[in-house]
Amino acid sequence: MITVKDLHKKFGSNEVLKGIDCHVDEQEVVCLIGPSGSGKSTFLRCLNGLEMATSGTIEVNGHTITDKKTNVNVVRQQVGMVFQHFNLFPHLKVVDNVMLAPVKVGKVSRDEARAKAAALLDKVGLRDKTNAYPGSLSGGQQQRVAIARALAMNPAVMLFDEPTSALDPEIVGEVLAVMKDLAREGMTMVVVTHEMGFAREVGDRAVFMDGGVIVEQGPPSQVFGNPQHTRTQNFLSKVL
Amino acid sequence: MTFYFGDLLPYSGQLAAALWTSVYITLIAMAVGSAFGVLLYVGKTGSNRVLRSVSWWYVEAFRNTPLLVQLYLIYFGLPELGVNLNPTWAGIVALTLNNAAYTAEIYRAGFEAVPHGLVEAGQALGMRRSQVFRHIELMPATRNVFPALTNQFILLFLASSIASIIGLPELMNAVLNINTETYRTFEILAVGGGLYFVVSLILSLASKAAESFFFRWGVSGRA
Amino acid sequence: MLRSFNWLDFESLLRGAVWTIVLCVTAGVAGTVLGLLLGIASSSPSRIARWVASTYVLIVRGIPLLVIVFFAYFGIPLMFPNVDLSAFLTAVIALTVFATAYLAEIFRGSINAVPRGQTEAAQALGLNYGRRLRFVVLPQAMRIAVPPGIGFLIALIKDSSLVTVIGFVELTHSGTIVSNLTAQPIITYSVVAVLYFVICYGVSRLGNWYENRSGPRREQPEAENPPAALQLEGV
Repeated sequence: MITVKDLHKKFGSNEVLKGIDCHVDEQEVVCLIGPSGSGKSTFLRCLNGLEMATSGTIEVNGHTITDKKTNVNVVRQQVGMVFQHFNLFPHLKVVDNVMLAPVKVGKVSRDEARAKAAALLDKVGLRDKTNAYPGSLSGGQQQRVAIARALAMNPAVMLFDEPTSALDPEIVGEVLAVMKDLAREGMTMVVVTHEMGFAREVGDRAVFMDGGVIVEQGPPSQVFGNPQHTRTQNFLSKVL
Repeated sequence: MTFYFGDLLPYSGQLAAALWTSVYITLIAMAVGSAFGVLLYVGKTGSNRVLRSVSWWYVEAFRNTPLLVQLYLIYFGLPELGVNLNPTWAGIVALTLNNAAYTAEIYRAGFEAVPHGLVEAGQALGMRRSQVFRHIELMPATRNVFPALTNQFILLFLASSIASIIGLPELMNAVLNINTETYRTFEILAVGGGLYFVVSLILSLASKAAESFFFRWGVSGRA
Repeated sequence: MLRSFNWLDFESLLRGAVWTIVLCVTAGVAGTVLGLLLGIASSSPSRIARWVASTYVLIVRGIPLLVIVFFAYFGIPLMFPNVDLSAFLTAVIALTVFATAYLAEIFRGSINAVPRGQTEAAQALGLNYGRRLRFVVLPQAMRIAVPPGIGFLIALIKDSSLVTVIGFVELTHSGTIVSNLTAQPIITYSVVAVLYFVICYGVSRLGNWYENRSGPRREQPEAENPPAALQLEGV
């Protein structure tokens, strides 16, 4: 589904990604963990072209996104993204947030998009907020709408960029529950997260990044239970 | 010192007419100037190098020199080139050109204040740049711009008094004329100042009401 | 009598520019002091102080500067017939009245922009209102007030051109005199405009320099927000 080869990313003279090789299979849930500034988010943002790779290749669902000839918008329609700060469109009602991309980008009829939006809002448990504005929702509710919005384009892959980091602890669970459902349904997911419990329980693979490289990866039980690298051990001893 | 407003009563019609003149020159300058400001903003942020530099110089020139000097250049300077404008037209032209520079800056600030995360969210959904602009940036930017524009309208209304100096028969001009006819200096200045104050207060309250009416979605919480 | 624009004319415009600067610095300093007092008053716990301050600000901001200038010009001699006020002092008074209101609003906003937690922390340490203001709130508020204050200073420089109506020979009035002597309004007022531009643009560059000096405002794009758990660790 996703194949990354020797990915480098520089901001000015600051090299944030120093050669990443990674492969994500269909229906796989990959959790990216690691300390702040390790490049996890930058890596994730490269996967849908929000950041342009400095060098290396990224192939997503059969499209080489690092190829200049590739229409990045076509790839993005197949890749859903959920942000740390939700980024809901404040001027649109919840339902219109979810319908916007299908109608404007996917050229789906409004009726069809509305039905799809209703189903998705059901799925994330927010049918009753259909006509509310994002500003009136709690953080957890906003993030669930953001997930529904990303799903509305029927993406092949979902990217999550620290989806629960901006939420109060008691609200984190409702967002993770929605993500668990998605994983169970077989969605391919790449999740940057600090929720080690989620990574352990739901993830098929945990990838530990530090200093712009992948230090260690493997089944969560192995990475968490028996970390091989001292950097991994150090990190885990701090957060667990 | 005694205050006596009775002497001013015969002039109330003149004051009302002058107030109306102030309002309509402000309206014209606001309407035409803010439309021109859009062009300046587009030019300033566009891809054409020449247009960018011309718009930049226009905005900086008008924002860094006094309106009065701009007015003098138009009213006293243009006749040197064979263009004669009466005080009313000179005033309207100066206020319009001046206002355009300020509104261009208001648009720029309004669009810059739209959180970048919204643009990214639109991009992540596969929207083209033009779609992101039209469906995502435009409304939040308008919401940012609205209070600044109405504030600019009030400032422009107050600034229109400057045109009295070249003899445009608006409110300030009428106040000065009535002063020389009645010598009720305090009284007429108080009445004139009061009229400016009341109109600007009404404009400010109306803009607040309009803001909460048009942008209900923006009242609570953040994006 | 008519002659063309020459070096002497330029010199007298320069002298006018100096007077504009002197005028604005004087009114600016006086307005800052009074504006700070009013700004403190309008954010103070006393309801009367707040009411007085905000009424003053509301009224002055709601009327044109020209009205204030004429009030000072006609009104002061009427109120104090024995005082012979120079045009300069009249201009300073008018501009100070004007600047005080706008600067008070800037200071009020800056004081309110200091996070509430700062006041609460100072309260918890047992500092009284005056000490909280002096040692905790004001030092932070002053920093916040600098950029809008610079913006207002530029507005003040431009608006000071209005005191030409009371005959004080600042930059714009020098322009009028030269223009009448030379009958060359375009060149004269263009030079006047350029001088204003140089002063105002210089001040705004100064403001930018200050803002950049006080550190970059934006986070680097690659900076990831630390998770809550790690944040606690670092303390």
